[in-house]
Amino acid sequence: MHDALLNFCKWLENTSWALAISRSLWVYPVVQLIHFSGLSLWLGTIAVVDLRFLGLAARRQPAGQFAQQFIGWTWSGLTIGFLGGALLFSASASAFFKNPAFRIKLVLILAGVFYHLVVQRNAGKWGESPAIPTVAKLASFLELALWIGVITAAVEIPNH
Amino acid sequence: MSFFEWLEHSRWVTAISESGWMYPAAEVAHFFGLFLLVGTIAVIDLRLLGLAVRRQSVSEIAQNLFPWMWTGFGIAVVSGFVMFATGATGFVSNTQFRIKMLVTLLAVTFGAVVQRKTAQWDQPSGIPGVAKFTAAISLALWIGVILAATEIANYSSL
Repeated sequence: MHDALLNFCKWLENTSWALAISRSLWVYPVVQLIHFSGLSLWLGTIAVVDLRFLGLAARRQPAGQFAQQFIGWTWSGLTIGFLGGALLFSASASAFFKNPAFRIKLVLILAGVFYHLVVQRNAGKWGESPAIPTVAKLASFLELALWIGVITAAVEIPNH
Repeated sequence: MSFFEWLEHSRWVTAISESGWMYPAAEVAHFFGLFLLVGTIAVIDLRLLGLAVRRQSVSEIAQNLFPWMWTGFGIAVVSGFVMFATGATGFVSNTQFRIKMLVTLLAVTFGAVVQRKTAQWDQPSGIPGVAKFTAAISLALWIGVILAATEIANYSSL
């Protein structure tokens, strides 16, 4: 299984577009930009909603209503960020595949995306009354911690 | 000794450079602040351009999000300064870093202009053209900051 995946990575990084990304002076920064822009939208909107449920932000508006307005931007951000990330990955696929920090990052992202689906599902119910239930505060805190974990793993990638 | 040499060798900065985890922690904080900052200003600018969350008025969204834009910026500045300090002499003479600082200054200025003007721009007849233009520039500048930041990592000897 491991060898099959590694072979896939080697094939990936030799595709013409992956080579174009790693060899061109300007394509790589642009792809990085796409990745960062997308994930800024994803994390920025998630963070603001979590902070609202923790009672730290935008208290004027009911939490459920507040959360609702960002859903489109949150998932657009993830899509763009994921596309940029996939392109970055393809440029050095086997190196990333072997990198322990990257593996942890990927696992955390997967967990984080599913976790956010759960949070989003419950946001309406949790945000109904002005008093935010404790489970909502806990869930929001956990979500922030999870994504800070993703950032930490990402920052560690160059060190491995 | 220049200010930057003094800074780089001051006690608290050396402690951070020598500790294994403090610089990465500053990096993480810097990224988190950046994502909070760019995420919120992007939503506001996109709303002004008529591309996002049209259900809510611009003023309402702005009121909700601007505090978090500046919080994110504050976190990014503090953590950024910590990182800068550990390699002050290298960063200050690095062209990509200087460009990033200049673009950041411009982006922050435009962010402040957008904040000042949102109430005025939130007209029942629709958002004026000058507002859309300013929002577009604001967005472009923050994209510029991200590009400049990635260039520092990619092309400098730091």
